[in-house]
Amino acid sequence: MAKIVIENLKYKYPGMNKLALNDISFTIEPGEFIGIIGRNESGKSSLCQAIAGLIPNFYKGAYGGRVFIDNMEVKKVAVEDLCETVGIVFQNPFNQVTGSKLTVYEEISFGLENMGIPREDMIKRIDDAMELLDISKYRDRYPFDLSGGQMQRMAIASIIAMKPEVILLDEPTSQLDPQGREEVFQAVQKLSKQGITIIMVEHNMEKIAAYSDRVVLLDDGKLIDIDIPQKIFSRDDLGEYGVEAPVYTQICRKLGIKNKSGYYPIALEETKNLLNSISKSMGKVIDQKGEM
Amino acid sequence: MYIITAIIVPVLLGKRWAGIGFIILSIILLLSGKVLKKTLPLLGVSSFVLLTVLIIQGLFWSGNTTPLFNIGPAVFYKEGLNFAFGILVNVINILLSFCVLILTTKPSDMIENFVRKGFSPRFGYVFISVFQIIPQMTETMSTITDAQRSRGMETEGKLWVRIKAFIPLISPVIMSSLINTKERALALEVRGFNSKKKRTFLNEQVKTGADIYIQIALLLCIIAALIWRIIIWLK
Amino acid sequence: MSTIEIKNLHFSYTEGEEILKGLNFNIDERSTAIIGQNGAGKTTFVKLLKGLLKPTEGEILLNGKNIKDMTVATIAKHIGMVFQNPNDQIFKSQVLDEVMFGPLQVGIDKETAKKKAMEALEVVGMAEEIHANPYDLGLSRRKLVAIASILAMDTEIIIFDEPTIAQDYAGKERIKDIIRKLRKDGKTVITIIHDMNFVADVFERAIVFAQGKAILDDSTKMVFSQKEVLEKAYLEQPDVMKLCYELNLQECFLNVDELIQKYGV
Repeated sequence: MAKIVIENLKYKYPGMNKLALNDISFTIEPGEFIGIIGRNESGKSSLCQAIAGLIPNFYKGAYGGRVFIDNMEVKKVAVEDLCETVGIVFQNPFNQVTGSKLTVYEEISFGLENMGIPREDMIKRIDDAMELLDISKYRDRYPFDLSGGQMQRMAIASIIAMKPEVILLDEPTSQLDPQGREEVFQAVQKLSKQGITIIMVEHNMEKIAAYSDRVVLLDDGKLIDIDIPQKIFSRDDLGEYGVEAPVYTQICRKLGIKNKSGYYPIALEETKNLLNSISKSMGKVIDQKGEM
Repeated sequence: MYIITAIIVPVLLGKRWAGIGFIILSIILLLSGKVLKKTLPLLGVSSFVLLTVLIIQGLFWSGNTTPLFNIGPAVFYKEGLNFAFGILVNVINILLSFCVLILTTKPSDMIENFVRKGFSPRFGYVFISVFQIIPQMTETMSTITDAQRSRGMETEGKLWVRIKAFIPLISPVIMSSLINTKERALALEVRGFNSKKKRTFLNEQVKTGADIYIQIALLLCIIAALIWRIIIWLK
Repeated sequence: MSTIEIKNLHFSYTEGEEILKGLNFNIDERSTAIIGQNGAGKTTFVKLLKGLLKPTEGEILLNGKNIKDMTVATIAKHIGMVFQNPNDQIFKSQVLDEVMFGPLQVGIDKETAKKKAMEALEVVGMAEEIHANPYDLGLSRRKLVAIASILAMDTEIIIFDEPTIAQDYAGKERIKDIIRKLRKDGKTVITIIHDMNFVADVFERAIVFAQGKAILDDSTKMVFSQKEVLEKAYLEQPDVMKLCYELNLQECFLNVDELIQKYGV
């Protein structure tokens, strides 16, 4: 699995005055699940695309600093070669359908054909990917006939079949209905269990809190903080960065309830357990500042 | 291969019966592929044009000397009709053989064949995706029309009204197409679209024995016709 | 205050496949959220309200008049709709011009149209950027321009189609404020939406669509407490409600503040 090192990354889109990425440095260990949060236009998508090599090789523009995937410097590798190591899934499921294949099965083979993978390997990889994303039943369907959630899972399968070591997901559920979102999050969970390095941008804080090993907080192109979710969501200044904490954290913050490590809980289970053990019976008022 | 043969042989032979023979062959192929019905619209349109040719040539062709029959005051001459008939046969032959190619082959298979032979995969992709993406665009078009109508814009009625409606409809279409195209280009990039590696193919190339025989047979036909032509010419 | 009466509304796109199977309810002054899985008929319903589609059976009465006798342009004077994707409607090169387009189309004079446009832009917080090119703005700000362009038409009823897609926290809060202001101004607000937390925080009434029928229609609190029915429609409860259930609380709350009020200090 690959280790990602980002050193002083700076980037400005052509024709823009402001830096989209402003001196970002951090490291991602192999197999980590990194959540990226921040308000709109804080640089989240740009950061993903810089890791995938689309910045600077697709977008051009002014680029500074370095990004390494293992020992490859991203700037020096062409996207069509880098994509074998780093995969990226975008927001709009529709625009990720190539439009040149008639079945879901063939659609997933697109990247593999480009990579020159031998036929027998291709078949195995496609089958495995469809299995993982639970879309085997759609193998003969016309790609554009699928629902949003199914299309997005097909896009993820197409990337997974290429067996990248890193997979980036840039707001993969923001255009989906609740069922679609649920399907994609379940797929992401399965992926993370496989040990692939996953980097996900999301606005759903509850999921970010649940899945991430560490969370990156961006604002105005700058790295504000990178730490475990508990610490990030216990920050008092999240509002300044246009971000809100998971609902459970908000509740505990307002009630002044912290857990053993001194942070606010970030998940349903933990919150429930804490609140239950504090309140003696149903419906009673909970003491303020109930520390354990 | 078939198209080339179907067109060249009759031309070389200069004989009517060759053209008709190929027409019949095309019809048989189309029938067996169960796609004969699809040719009807095409034939319908072209027959209208061809009928006109027939009439005009039959009436006014310069070499007309032998009247064949008359309809009222109009006299149809044999030479003209003959000439026109020749054109008819050629045109229908070409149309039908194209139909054979297009209607019996999946576009994707056809393009894949070209790509296998060395045609640029990028052009191949552009060609195929047009078939799929344009229908999706019509979906967007109707949403855009709904959106503008629901802001009070009239789309039905006098020509002037429709012209006024043009810009509010066409701008969003162009912008959203551009945006979608850019996003799609990104998605293709990260699936190795520009890879310099040798491509492999998911579908096995089905080259049956029959394929080879047919190709050889067609080639022989062309050569035979060529030889015949040369012989005639030498006489 | 405007009312819309839905009487026995049926609709099919193609013969034999009914999308809406007999809807019967009235829209009153309460802000109403229509929720349900994709394909349940929500978008179709809203298109019928706007006259973009005609019912196969049943009727829709706007302030007592049957809308099938009204043209889309006429209905647009009373019911405004913000479409999901701002790129599907924006075509002018300046924000102000874009926002003035709607009012001008429905017959408002130029002076008044400009005034209304400025007011609308004020409400969505884009008053500083009236001369910007909408396509130079990020997607979420473009959405605000789209919202302003409908608000400027000053219709009594406003429909939002998925207002929260691609919005971040600040964007959602702004839209919540906009909806609350509209409600205060006496406008009827209807929305199609998938964000249950948003609905819980802002809307008074929720109607659950499933397979072409309205299976639940009540105050948001009542609707969201019906876990089993929601599950049948493939919907989830808002997060705060989920917590209430897990804690076996006697009462259920729609958002954090309500919960804290009862339990905190």
